[in-house]
Amino acid sequence: MHEMGIGEKGLETAKKHKREGNKPNLRNEGQKVIMQVENLSKTYTQGKIPVHALRCACITVRKGELLAIMGPSGSGKSTLLALIGTLEKATEGKIILDGTDLTSVPEKLLPGVRREKIGFIFQHYNLIPTLSALENVELAMRFSGVPKKERKERAKALLDDLGLGDRLNHKPTELSGGEQQRVSIARALANRPALILADEPTGEVDSKTRDSIVRTFKELSEKGQTILVVTHDPEVAKECSRVLRITDGVIKDY
Amino acid sequence: MFDLIIRNITNRKVRSALTICGIALGIFAVIVMGAMSENFHQTFERSMSVTSDKIRVFAESGVFGGGLTDNKVSDVLRVAGVKDAYGLLMTTFDEDKMGMTGKQILGVPPEKSSVALNPVELKAGRFLNPGDSYSVVVGNNIKREYGLEVGSKFEIHDKYFTVVGILEYTGSIFDNAVIIPLETAQDLYNVGDSVSYIFAVPDERVDAEMLSKRIELSVKGTSTLSPGELEVQARQSFMIFSVITISSGLLAAIIGGLCVMNTMLMSVAERTREFGILKAIGAETRDILLLTLGEASFMGLLGGILGILVGVGAVYIMNAWLATTRIVLFLITPRLLIIAMVFALLIGALSGLYPAYRASKMSPMEALKHA
Repeated sequence: MHEMGIGEKGLETAKKHKREGNKPNLRNEGQKVIMQVENLSKTYTQGKIPVHALRCACITVRKGELLAIMGPSGSGKSTLLALIGTLEKATEGKIILDGTDLTSVPEKLLPGVRREKIGFIFQHYNLIPTLSALENVELAMRFSGVPKKERKERAKALLDDLGLGDRLNHKPTELSGGEQQRVSIARALANRPALILADEPTGEVDSKTRDSIVRTFKELSEKGQTILVVTHDPEVAKECSRVLRITDGVIKDY
Repeated sequence: MFDLIIRNITNRKVRSALTICGIALGIFAVIVMGAMSENFHQTFERSMSVTSDKIRVFAESGVFGGGLTDNKVSDVLRVAGVKDAYGLLMTTFDEDKMGMTGKQILGVPPEKSSVALNPVELKAGRFLNPGDSYSVVVGNNIKREYGLEVGSKFEIHDKYFTVVGILEYTGSIFDNAVIIPLETAQDLYNVGDSVSYIFAVPDERVDAEMLSKRIELSVKGTSTLSPGELEVQARQSFMIFSVITISSGLLAAIIGGLCVMNTMLMSVAERTREFGILKAIGAETRDILLLTLGEASFMGLLGGILGILVGVGAVYIMNAWLATTRIVLFLITPRLLIIAMVFALLIGALSGLYPAYRASKMSPMEALKHA
């Protein structure tokens, strides 16, 4: 059977990574390991043909790291993010996030993991169009059972911190792309997650907004928030504390 | 969660309004058809309670076949177990309207008028007395229609009668009855000593069904209808009528339900990405189910309220209009309102089940990829 998605060279690299593991970032070396990805693989089937979207990925991430994942389209970066975000099931391997092995969490309990441990930021913002900025941020806390008063205060404070204090009651359609992305950052931070996963967060904004978003990420990282950013943009990557390159489903350190 | 449900409904105003109207139309049909059925049900039950202790004796050839005369009354009286027997002449009051108004002339032996009508009570005046000839006792609807009081004159078949009694409202056929002495009725309609049927009252502790058979065997040329047989016959007719009316209402309501399902399926398809986002930020399957099912049920509730309001209004208007012709066709009962409301909620919830199931079972990743 013909296999797609990874060449011989890539397979060798993956095996090497499996042996050695991924080097942690020196800047955050003193910090505790917040996430450990071990030999993570994902294989899809297209008809009867297996497609290896990710192979033997090993990553160690320390608390407060701002980690960029770069790679061409179809290289497996979004798959990696989806696996860490528990949106998809891994074929093999382990993801230990904040002491919990995500790959062994029963399907029923995954929403709880997503609520408490992970915050998502999407390229297309993915805000609920019928809700205001404040309500969108509140929404994440609503599912966590945070009392109404507290979630309102927290959402307000987060939006204030991100410079949206005067846009609380605006619907997404009444906000600029940059503002929408900042609302989505506030939403991701709402439940104080261990890890924020950002999938091409600057993909749809101009360079000025991009810089402002990256600045926000850096500030959050300095305050101890761990962020994993999938990006095509070298300008974003160069601001990150570490960059992982992924090609044909195999991760390489920069 | 309720605020999200309301927001999703109000966000798609036209579509939600049309869906609610769809359910309302169904519930409107349930109310109107149900009110008709309830009216017949009430009339039937009350009429049954008024005549349940008597055996009806007809000429073998049937009630319209003639051949039953006063002589047969004494034959019936001779049958063991018969406590009392008397003939009645029944004919339509409005001959020109083919009896469509339901008003009937009832010729009753004056001395038997109170027992023949038992347990119907008088609202005013008295029953017929022996010796009465041009006296009349009228049902409550007749009194209202003609503005009669005790002592009023009332024209029947070109003769003037004096109203001596007015019956209490019963909700039965007796509300439209004009009761006159049997002999006067026989003269008035020129039928000699014919009667339409004979009422036979069984002795206490005598089984009416057995006695009914005994009368048939003992009195030649007669057939009988025992209280039990009458009830079975009447119930069958009533059931057929109910099935027809209620099925029409249900059919309309089911169409309303399909309307909700269609809307909810469209809504779920349009909001696939939204459900993906909700799942990604930690919504449980039950949250998505609650949200979708809540929307459908709430639209069912609103449609139900609207349908009931419009239905009750329509019934009120139609009853008021029909009142001019003295026909009462609809009756709204608390039972009907409760059934209609529960039905509206069920339609909403059941129609929302499948769309809700689809929404809750979506893979978050697949849903997020949805354009």
